[in-house]
Amino acid sequence: MRLMTRVMSLLLRCSAALWPADRRMWARALWVEAEAIPEGWSRLAWLAGGVRLTVLEAGLARRLGYPVVFSAAAAGTAWSAWSGPAGDSAIMINRVDVITVAVILAGLSWAIRRARGPVAGRRPARMVRTGGYAMVLALVLAKAAVERVADAPPNNLPASALAWTGELVFLAVMVGYAVVILAGTARRSAASSADVATGAAIGAALGILVYALGPLGFPLRFAGWWPARLYDAAMVLGALLALCAPVAAGVAVSRRAGGAPRAGSRVRHGALAGLCTGAAAALVISVLSTATIALLPHASGLRDWAAGHIGQWTPAVGQVTPLVGSRLGYVAGNSAFAAGYLIVLLLSPLFGCGLGAWAGRAAGRPHLAPSR
Amino acid sequence: MARRSGFSAQTLAVLAELCATPSQWRHGYGIARGTGLKSGTLYPVLIRLADRGLVEARWEDEQPAGRPRRHLYRLTPGGLAIATQALIRARSDGAATAAARVRAARPAPARVAP
Repeated sequence: MRLMTRVMSLLLRCSAALWPADRRMWARALWVEAEAIPEGWSRLAWLAGGVRLTVLEAGLARRLGYPVVFSAAAAGTAWSAWSGPAGDSAIMINRVDVITVAVILAGLSWAIRRARGPVAGRRPARMVRTGGYAMVLALVLAKAAVERVADAPPNNLPASALAWTGELVFLAVMVGYAVVILAGTARRSAASSADVATGAAIGAALGILVYALGPLGFPLRFAGWWPARLYDAAMVLGALLALCAPVAAGVAVSRRAGGAPRAGSRVRHGALAGLCTGAAAALVISVLSTATIALLPHASGLRDWAAGHIGQWTPAVGQVTPLVGSRLGYVAGNSAFAAGYLIVLLLSPLFGCGLGAWAGRAAGRPHLAPSR
Repeated sequence: MARRSGFSAQTLAVLAELCATPSQWRHGYGIARGTGLKSGTLYPVLIRLADRGLVEARWEDEQPAGRPRRHLYRLTPGGLAIATQALIRARSDGAATAAARVRAARPAPARVAP
């Protein structure tokens, strides 16, 4: 007991330096007060409360927790992407991918911390940053799983210049996403935490909706008349919502910034919210769809469902659907990812940004401005 | 109760403890014993109250033998006024809540046909 009390006292005394400078006297007050408390459980409990308060005041959980969780997630992704025969071109690409993405995420975090400050203190900013990082790592993981099977023997394709060019584009897009995630949630960001969180939440919801309507990037096929018509109606509604989501985000944030006198400010708020909407939607769609493609060779039920409902998955698969099990269709799935989701990842934020800026501008016009 | 008075139950307990002897300087352990709060709960309350100017703090003047000087606390004049109001409001809310609970627990009177 005495030893524990001494250790706790020493811990509290040493950790006082971690408190914000203007509050350090409170840490000393806690420690000094413990000296006046009778030895035993009372003093130990007092000191333990002080240590707990130090952890909260110094934000230790946040300071240490995020790097530890990121390192663990990056290590897990690397371990998963690393497995496979060393000579396989897909495995080589996976390894380069995962290392580069981990370095990008860690290095950019450091660079943007210096340029724009640490993550904003508000919870939405931290949630968006954590969620964004998790999605980028999940995308790398799912993509590695797809390529490991797609390019495995007997489909073992040599690493062509085209494949490496595609990887460079993918990594460049990931850099762009990491910059948006980090700069948007930094303390000195051009966007407020509310803009970023609103855009990301609307975008994530949109991504889930689009995935539900076309889990592998292609429209579903239904046998009956009514299911087919209902699905068509849902697709039309989904397309409208996809257009409206960045507009809604732009209008919401520019109205929230209603006190801003200049139209340029409203346009900027709208554009940033739209950018976040488009980026979040593209990330969610890409992660979910790529993960679904990655599951195909392992889940026969999913394969059967895909063969029955996604006849036009790709022209190739339309002809070789019975061969999906032999991985030939799977290569088509992989190229659908490469060609399709990379384009989604590239264009969706740009569309979102444009629509959000337009919405921000339109929201300031008299006929759309909120009545006072 | 705590919400309507603008303070949490723990803060009200600290205010009540300090209001009991408003002119005296109190040390943290004494307040903790009076309120039953642990250090990890008490000190955030004291920090918030000091930030809002409701509580003033100072170190003991004289160096006691065998131990360091302690940190002392008491309500400021403004803090005393606000604390008194908050405690009165909390007590009246508490009484109203208790009365409402009694009314709710009491069986409904039987209707008598005219």
